[in-house]
Amino acid sequence: MNQLFPVIQGHVAKLVRVWLLVAACALLPLRAADLSDLFAERIKSCVTVEFLIENELDRQPVAVPGVCVDANGTIILPASAINARVSIRRLKDFKVYRPNSATAYRAEYLGQDALTGWHFVRAEEKLHPELVPLTAWARPGTPPVRLADEVWSIGLRGKDEDFHPYFLMSRVGLIEPMPQPTAIAASEIGGPGLPVFNRDGALVGLTLNSFGQNFLLFSRQERGQPVVLVNVEESSVFLLADEVLSYLGRIPENAAGRPLPWLGAFGLEPVDPEVARFLKLENQSALVVSEVLEGSPAEKAGLKGHDIIVALEDKPLPRLKPDQVVATYVEREVERRRPGDDLTLTVLRDNQRLDLKVTLGDEPKILREADRRYFERLGLTVREFLYGDGIAHRVKRAEQAGVIVDFVKANSPAAMGGLEPDDWVREIDGREIKTYAEAVAALAAIEADKDRSEFVLLTSRGGETAVRRVKLK
Amino acid sequence: MKPSTLNESPAWSIIRAVVGALIVLPAVVSAPAAMSGDFNRLLGAVVRIDVREVTFEAGARRFVAGVGSGVILSPDGLVLTNAHVASPHAVEISITLPSLERVGARLLGWDHWTDLALIRLDLDEVKRRGLAFQHAAFGDSDALYVGETVYAVGTPYGLTRTVTRGIISNNRRYFEDSGGVRGYETGAFNTWLQTDAAINPGNSGGPLVTEDGRVVGINARGYVGADNLGFAIPANVARRIVDGLLAHGSITRSYIGLVPGTLQDLEHFYALALNTGMLINSVELGSPAARAGLHGGDILLAINGQKVDGRFPEQLPPIQNLIASLPVGSVVRLSLRRGGQAMEIPVVTEKLESRMGEEWAFDKWGLSVRKVSRAFARENQLDDDTGVIVLGVQSGFPAAVAGIAAGDIITKVNRQALADLETLKRIYQEFEAKPDSLLVEALRDRRVSLYVLKP
Repeated sequence: MNQLFPVIQGHVAKLVRVWLLVAACALLPLRAADLSDLFAERIKSCVTVEFLIENELDRQPVAVPGVCVDANGTIILPASAINARVSIRRLKDFKVYRPNSATAYRAEYLGQDALTGWHFVRAEEKLHPELVPLTAWARPGTPPVRLADEVWSIGLRGKDEDFHPYFLMSRVGLIEPMPQPTAIAASEIGGPGLPVFNRDGALVGLTLNSFGQNFLLFSRQERGQPVVLVNVEESSVFLLADEVLSYLGRIPENAAGRPLPWLGAFGLEPVDPEVARFLKLENQSALVVSEVLEGSPAEKAGLKGHDIIVALEDKPLPRLKPDQVVATYVEREVERRRPGDDLTLTVLRDNQRLDLKVTLGDEPKILREADRRYFERLGLTVREFLYGDGIAHRVKRAEQAGVIVDFVKANSPAAMGGLEPDDWVREIDGREIKTYAEAVAALAAIEADKDRSEFVLLTSRGGETAVRRVKLK
Repeated sequence: MKPSTLNESPAWSIIRAVVGALIVLPAVVSAPAAMSGDFNRLLGAVVRIDVREVTFEAGARRFVAGVGSGVILSPDGLVLTNAHVASPHAVEISITLPSLERVGARLLGWDHWTDLALIRLDLDEVKRRGLAFQHAAFGDSDALYVGETVYAVGTPYGLTRTVTRGIISNNRRYFEDSGGVRGYETGAFNTWLQTDAAINPGNSGGPLVTEDGRVVGINARGYVGADNLGFAIPANVARRIVDGLLAHGSITRSYIGLVPGTLQDLEHFYALALNTGMLINSVELGSPAARAGLHGGDILLAINGQKVDGRFPEQLPPIQNLIASLPVGSVVRLSLRRGGQAMEIPVVTEKLESRMGEEWAFDKWGLSVRKVSRAFARENQLDDDTGVIVLGVQSGFPAAVAGIAAGDIITKVNRQALADLETLKRIYQEFEAKPDSLLVEALRDRRVSLYVLKP
């Protein structure tokens, strides 16, 4: 038995190999047709999501490709689909279009996940049966892509072409942890945020935003001017499938994606290999902490500016390329946790190694959550003073009051008065403003008073205050 | 837009050569210039100044040449010119006398705030070679009236002994330029004379004179490309600065950190009588005024009991100068209005410093730097004035190879804080004697990075 077994095994293996060869030969002429069939099925996971950003003066339409991830019509969009400064309340009128169709289905915005950056959208029920979730193409046991593997995905044309899908294919040129396992194909393989497949139609990844590419620009005026071009329609970069599949369940509980785990260390700057060697850190990376934010979990744990983080949970920071990626690595380690979770940082301070246990907090209100109010007659929008504004204006929390100018309408009284976005308003008509509510009440009263000929603000910009007189008549 | 300073750079010399070769303007016949004896004497006192100076821009020490004008003020060879013509960066100053003879000179002192510098002819050389020159006398710039005829004398585009004629266009022009004299601040403490007498690059430092040959201003700036919008420092300001530079080599001023604003159109809002008070637009962070509790929106009514009126921009320099003229370290009583409240706040003055710190180049590192000054630290909201600003790096040299770039602020080397430039010079000397890797800590946009400088 013991002697025979290997023989049998070898025999079976040979049989399987022969069978595979026969099958492959039989399939060979059909391959092209196969791919087009696979394509026709797989485009059912792809959609285009359209929505409006309602600004003070205009409505800005946005259309981005997305992919369906479950049977409930949940769709994910890449992080870049929505600018982080845009208020959630201004995102309006979400619609979903299938490829090759002009029919719009209503959808709702579920929020952004902090770890993946994905925006989640849910399509109306009517559409659910028409969509096939991405998970349908996942084949357990499919080996991860390797160098030179053929991979393909889908491109989607614009609204004027009914979001016509098209086929793109290339080969894997590079696989690298960034810090997530990421592959770069030799050329563009699909629209950003769409699924990537192998020859057999198994899911191997999800395209990310394209990287910039260097070109030289020649024209009559310029002779070989270097430019960086980023293809926004198609990408050659993709996240590997295992990484994608493990995060599909991270549907935000609310639009802001809260709770948001928070460390409170600003400006994590990687050291290059020379510096690492100088610090006697072999085969690993490290991050310099530029500032530790006031009242943050990091501060409470005793982290200090200029500390050098060398390990997380006793694991030395990996050496990733480019150096910058290690900062993303640490950010992700924070974001994959929840407020209240502990994280042990090992830092170098004055040649000493210290272990600091940080209990992560919930991040203070961020820009997209801030309350804002537009005053049409004055020509300005103010928003509440956020924790981040305190950092930008370098003021201690105890001294934080007032509101921030969020928008100034061109040629409006506010613009003529010299106001600019990000100005910090501290007094209105000589009265100190403590809260957002106070500011809104004062400005609303000014706006409502048709006899008003002017008002005066005390503002601060880059540490310099200025008295600004806004003439209304 | 601010008028530019008008000394002549090498680029201008080339333009001049080309333009000079192409265009020959027909002579315009007009009334004879004032040919009084006094005016002739003045012409005998105006000189051309050639300056070779050091710059620290591209990660190295480099030398550039410039041309300006000047006026001799005394029989012992004092020459007055602009601070942007002759600065402490000058390594060689040579003066062309009206007799066309060249003679060396050295800088006695400068004051960029008023854009004035005082140099002295090499008297030994003058004596040895038996050179002769005239000297000019100041007139009263306060007595000038708008429309009065004035002459600009100097070396526009290197054309020595050029006289142009115009009138006083405005005798109290206000402009401040925070980086107007090669990055140094200017104009906060004086108003300027504006003239339409043609002032071109190279006129800088030359005198603006009346028909009787009296110096009423020192030509300094103009709008390049505009038609005869030139500016001069009034003689009455210059006279004071000359005395100060002669006595001390520099002008010491007091600082409290007020950034003034005009009250025009705001009197009603602050319920003030017309022509009363000056608006404090801002108070510089960490300044004596800030420490004393002043803040933006306060109205300054009086300084040591002397009432101030800052309704219009032209009125601000005299008020600033009043504060600047107080002794350093003295207590100044500021009478203020805040809301409806009147208050008196004592503030202790500090010595006024420029935001431009000392510059230096470390050739073997391929690194040129400027010391962070207190004013720069305040402006950029840095914790303190530790560190040096990187002016430039030479590609392929250790600083550039390490990744250091222009604009970075180097705060520490080998964990030693750079409290002054001397610390870095010392570290450099040690490096020169025994080259070894150095750990550099630098700030870029508030972010702290580490670099290794390798020999």
